[in-house]
Amino acid sequence: MIRTLRATIPVILSLVATASLAGGPLPIGAGMPMADVKMKGVDGKELALADVKTAQGTLVVFTCNHCPFAKMWETRIVELGNAYAAKGVGVIAINANDPKVAAEDSYEVMQQRAKDRGMQFPYVVDATSGLARAFGATKTPEAFLFDKDGKLVYHGAVDDNGQEPAKVENAYLKNALEAVVAGKDVAVKETKSIGCGIKFRS
Amino acid sequence: MSTLAALVLAAAAAVTAPKAPAPTPAAAAGVLDEVKRPGASAVLVNVWATWCSPCREEFPDLLHVARELAPKGLRLVLVSVDFPDAGSETQDFLTSQGVDFPTFLRTGKDEAFVDELEPQWSGAIPVTLLYDANGKLVRFWEGKASYPVIKKRALAALAIKERP
Repeated sequence: MIRTLRATIPVILSLVATASLAGGPLPIGAGMPMADVKMKGVDGKELALADVKTAQGTLVVFTCNHCPFAKMWETRIVELGNAYAAKGVGVIAINANDPKVAAEDSYEVMQQRAKDRGMQFPYVVDATSGLARAFGATKTPEAFLFDKDGKLVYHGAVDDNGQEPAKVENAYLKNALEAVVAGKDVAVKETKSIGCGIKFRS
Repeated sequence: MSTLAALVLAAAAAVTAPKAPAPTPAAAAGVLDEVKRPGASAVLVNVWATWCSPCREEFPDLLHVARELAPKGLRLVLVSVDFPDAGSETQDFLTSQGVDFPTFLRTGKDEAFVDELEPQWSGAIPVTLLYDANGKLVRFWEGKASYPVIKKRALAALAIKERP
């Protein structure tokens, strides 16, 4: 028995190490992970990514209430979300942050924020941060756009200038959404920005 | 160190410490120049902001390690990503932490800053990057780390120099 344990522990440890090393964002071309996990929306209803997904494409944005970067892009995220939801794209905003770490990321503040900003798409709680982990999302805001076939075609920032909307030169997410709706290839598939590290629930 | 003790120390530092130097505006290239500047046996780069709570929480631990290992040749390079409208907040926080060495404030577009500093970095802060004596990246981590973890990693980077 002891021998078995001795033999097993290193295997388990190495598996754990492999799992953490295997992290990193969902690769371009991947399907939607954890699509059937139900999450509570600001309207009190439970829904999963599979409920949001449409044949026109699906936009998943990890965001939150407290982060200055999420706030800088909030108006643009809501404008894009509302506009493309109206065009038939499935749109969902997800808050994966632990409100014990950032109190402003509570469900109640999410409800208020969705109302204040006029979000016409679901804003849900990733209650275990499991979705954020499965997507390999690390910060807020961070967008993942899936095409009509449910394949990831864009991952990254909303655009190239969080602070000064008037000085945006590359509206990455908008361009990607436009391409998906038109059934065309997304030109810029991966971008980066600085953002607040997600406060993962332990 | 307990949070209370850290707060007391920070408060004491705020009263007695001289004002921290105002951060120098720099793009990623300027930060990397500081990493490669001769004289260090290992370099820790930490990207932080005053509004980032995990960044503020790990600050005393980073400084603790930096002070302890400075005699062994560890250099700490602090890079704030505060917005221009932060005013004196950045410098005030540095002063409250007893920082008495030059630090940086990132300039330019975020995407270029992230990619030029380290392509593997997702852009999430805090991020800490650890380089060896030759300015080669040894490891980096996103999210805050504790004093013993930072110290262990810094010691490992310092040890690289001693290898034949």
